[in-house]
Amino acid sequence: MPEKASDSETTARPVVSGLSRRARIMRRLTFIVPVTILSLMIIMAIFADLAWLGLPDVGLAPYDPVKMSLPDRLMPPFWDEEGSTEHLLGTDKMGRDILSRLIFGARISLSVSLLVILITSFVGTVLGILGGYLGGRTEAFLMRITDISLAFPPILVAMLLAVSMGPSFVTVVLAISLLGWAAYARLIRGETLRLRQMDFVAQARIIGASPLRIMLRHIFPNVINPLIIIMTLQIGLLIITEASLSFLGVGIPPPAPSWGNMINDGRNLVDTAWWISTFPGIAIALVVMSGNFFGDWLRDKLDPRLRQL
Amino acid sequence: MSEIVLKVEDLHTSFFTRSGEFRAVDGVSFHVREAETFGLVGESACGKTVTGLSILRLLPEPAGKIVSGKITLDGTNILELSKKEMRAYRGAMISMILQDPMTSLNPVYTVGNQIAEPVRQHQRIQDKNMVEEKVISALRLLRIPAPERRLQDYPFQMSGGMRQRVVGSIAMSCYPRLLIADEPTTALDATIQAQYIALFKDVQKETDVAIIFITHDFGVVANMCHRVGVMYAGKIVETAATSTIFKAPRHPYTNALIHSVPRLDRKDDRLYSIEGQPPSLLNLPPGCRFAPRCPDVMDICNEQQPQEVEISEGHSVSCWKVK
Amino acid sequence: MSDVILEGRDLKKYYPVTKGLLQRTIGWVRAIDGISFTIERGKTLSLVGESGAGKTTAAKAVLLLERLTSGEILFEDRDIYKFSKSQMKAEYRPRVQSVQQNPWSSMNPRMRVRDIIAEPLVVNTKQTKEQIRKRVLELLEQVGLAPNQADYYPHEFSGGQRQRIAVARALALNPSLVVLDEPVSALDVSIRAQIMNLLKDLQNQFNLSYLVIAHNLATVRFMSHSVAIMYLGQIVEYGDAEELFQHPLHPYTRALISASMLTLPEDAEQGVEQIILKGEMPSPLNPPPGCRFHTRCSETQDICSKEVPEMKEYGKQHVRCHHVVYR
Ligand SMILES: Nc1ncnc2c1ncn2[C@@H]1O[C@H](COP(=O)(O)OP(=O)(O)OP(=O)(O)O)[C@@H](O)[C@H]1O
Ligand SMILES: Nc1ncnc2c1ncn2[C@@H]1O[C@H](COP(=O)(O)OP(=O)(O)OP(=O)(O)O)[C@@H](O)[C@H]1O
Ligand SMILES: [Mg+2]
Ligand SMILES: [Mg+2]
Repeated sequence: MPEKASDSETTARPVVSGLSRRARIMRRLTFIVPVTILSLMIIMAIFADLAWLGLPDVGLAPYDPVKMSLPDRLMPPFWDEEGSTEHLLGTDKMGRDILSRLIFGARISLSVSLLVILITSFVGTVLGILGGYLGGRTEAFLMRITDISLAFPPILVAMLLAVSMGPSFVTVVLAISLLGWAAYARLIRGETLRLRQMDFVAQARIIGASPLRIMLRHIFPNVINPLIIIMTLQIGLLIITEASLSFLGVGIPPPAPSWGNMINDGRNLVDTAWWISTFPGIAIALVVMSGNFFGDWLRDKLDPRLRQL
Repeated sequence: MSEIVLKVEDLHTSFFTRSGEFRAVDGVSFHVREAETFGLVGESACGKTVTGLSILRLLPEPAGKIVSGKITLDGTNILELSKKEMRAYRGAMISMILQDPMTSLNPVYTVGNQIAEPVRQHQRIQDKNMVEEKVISALRLLRIPAPERRLQDYPFQMSGGMRQRVVGSIAMSCYPRLLIADEPTTALDATIQAQYIALFKDVQKETDVAIIFITHDFGVVANMCHRVGVMYAGKIVETAATSTIFKAPRHPYTNALIHSVPRLDRKDDRLYSIEGQPPSLLNLPPGCRFAPRCPDVMDICNEQQPQEVEISEGHSVSCWKVK
Repeated sequence: MSDVILEGRDLKKYYPVTKGLLQRTIGWVRAIDGISFTIERGKTLSLVGESGAGKTTAAKAVLLLERLTSGEILFEDRDIYKFSKSQMKAEYRPRVQSVQQNPWSSMNPRMRVRDIIAEPLVVNTKQTKEQIRKRVLELLEQVGLAPNQADYYPHEFSGGQRQRIAVARALALNPSLVVLDEPVSALDVSIRAQIMNLLKDLQNQFNLSYLVIAHNLATVRFMSHSVAIMYLGQIVEYGDAEELFQHPLHPYTRALISASMLTLPEDAEQGVEQIILKGEMPSPLNPPPGCRFHTRCSETQDICSKEVPEMKEYGKQHVRCHHVVYR
């Protein structure tokens, strides 16, 4: 059927809900489950302890994540015969409580991702809109840099940076951000090019609006939806990148726990003490999957509105 | 008078959506004869396309459904055919031309290939030369110059007008009994539109095909159609011969539509205009659907739906004013 | 003495056609190729022609959305290309506004109607919030919308209502000239009359000049005082609207009028024949030599394919054709 550009009150084509009951329940589940998991992770990260409220002894984590206790080393999870309910998920080779490290690890891994997302999306959006709207040399220049950035293997670059600056939280964030903005820049530039052709942008020029005003008032609000979608889809990717860096020993420096360096810790003991790397592995998998499901759900939710443009 | 090819009786088609039942077509009846063009005119969203798709039984699944009614093609009720039988009817007995010449051809196949497809499928001709012959004759029917050379062309190598002729050739390649043309000229320029309409009149003379011509342009109706049905919010409000519609419209909506279009043959200072806009299909008025905008509205119009009345041979109107 | 508000002189716009990786220019699309016209104060000039004739390009040049290859645009007798940037911003931009064809894409979907109509005022004037609010309500009333609709978003309106919003926005700065690019062609038939009447009323009320772009001749006859018929980047016939519709002189104008006429079945039986042009408009990439229309003209003569016809004056009309039969 030929789609007309009509979308007024009277002619709006309603969203077809020919979906069966089961499909609808499934669709709702793909929203509820990931959002619950992500929220739990975030709560874990925030309330791991309440040091930020001046109460370092109160929190979700039962133990101090870096406190070693050699007598308790390599305890399996509680359901194992040799396990105990004092360390629900067991301990690592230095006797540190896995559950506590996992909870604190959420704080570190998630804050790395969040910071990186904020930095890269900001830089990428600014450059993408500038390049797409201004065109000409600016665009050519920005797009070359974008292409180059996308051509480098990010892990390698991050490793080089980490090695030269010394591993730290800041290094990890900078290292991942250094190339990460390019994906945003490319997407936002494409959207901007499309929007630039729209009549309402021409109309803004006709009334005499300045390029800055057009970019801020007319282009930016219309790229927010795709922006949010890739931001959520990036959560998973970033958790994995951070974990990979930590796994390779150039990420968050020990003893601070991050899911990546926890896996690294257990690397040589997988056959005797499987729990050390398995639990952070599961945490990563859960967050990555939730991020992706949530991103897809958002895309479905927001896309029809985009087409309305 | 020639024989009736298609008869639609009290057709109801709805879309079942999250926000409720959309009665896109709500009790439509008309017929088309051999070698006759029946115009279906009306504004956007009044249900013209859905009527056409219902006849082809190609409604978007699963939301769209024919709720009730009877559609008879050459004496067969096609609503009772199995899916497989219906597939054999499409293309061979009924075919359809869509509005947009730019998107109704597949960009990756040659024009010859796309016309050959229905020929192969319906006439079960496998012989290459025979197929090609059929394809060329279809192109020739739509007066496409140098058809032998055009076979190898891709759609992007053709202008909008030419593409729309190719779409026409595909629709006519099996010499169907009924052709549904859904705004085939709306995207075309005035002079190209005039060419296309003249062409279709010739095609009809040669093949005796019955045509349902969907449009919102009364100019096209005047030039092309023998009889017209005027649709408003899912119903046909008036049916008559074309000249009757123009000279003696009886329904206030028909009258308003004809008089709100500026005329080329005289200078108007002001146009007749109907205020408001068509009602939402989710929220239809209980009485006549045009009542909220009608200049001659009476009490009964807001209460009860008017029945169709045949006021003279072949001229029916649904309006309380007309007795 | 007529009062000319805008004059276009010999406007040309060539778009380069590039090919290959190196973007080599292999030719030029002559979108408009030497068109001249004048728009009088309080009057309407329409540019009519088929798709690709160059109508939108001409409108874009007037709206400064596209830089011309050559030609002069005089606004109240002053060459706008000689304006300084600040003159342009103060004396031209606010006084030449536009309403576009597609009411579904001409408004930022993220802005409320109030802000859409106010934007020209915010950008161009130093009015206070209160002044702007009052002006917006006044404009809404002028185009026939209710004040409480100011807080809605564009997608909550029908096409006709949106076109009213677009008109309100165009009027916000009290312009002298409004460019209307196909103002009703995207609207429903029963809504078109409402908008056309509105546009005419506003023209009378505020002494507005209109440059209308259209392909529907009946719309043009209703709206215009003068008409320019365009074919392949050139104006082939130009002059007083009534003269032109009653006595079309160029064969293309005649064909266009005939193609748009209502011919009822019995007219056809009585021998009222439509003129059906052969072929289609050639590509503006390499227009035919001589008269550009000769490949489709039914009255073509030898000279037509050899010599480019000049624009000649016949009474109130200007025609570009070798074989005009005048009276
Ligand atoms: N797939 C669909 N799902 C839900 N509603 C639909 C669907 N297709 C059409 N409709 C509704 O059915 C009604 C009639 O639509 P239809 O396409 O037949 O209009 P039309 O008369 O062909 O209009 P136009 O001139 O715009 O083509 C409209 O209100 C439309 O919103
Ligand atoms: N940016 C561009 N680059 C290259 N060619 C262009 C560009 N814009 C327009 N053209 C060409 O210029 C010619 C005139 O275009 P224009 O848009 O002015 O036509 P129009 O008369 O407005 O047609 P329509 O009725 O289809 O809107 C066309 O052949 C078109 O392809
Ligand atoms: Mg339709
Ligand atoms: Mg145009």
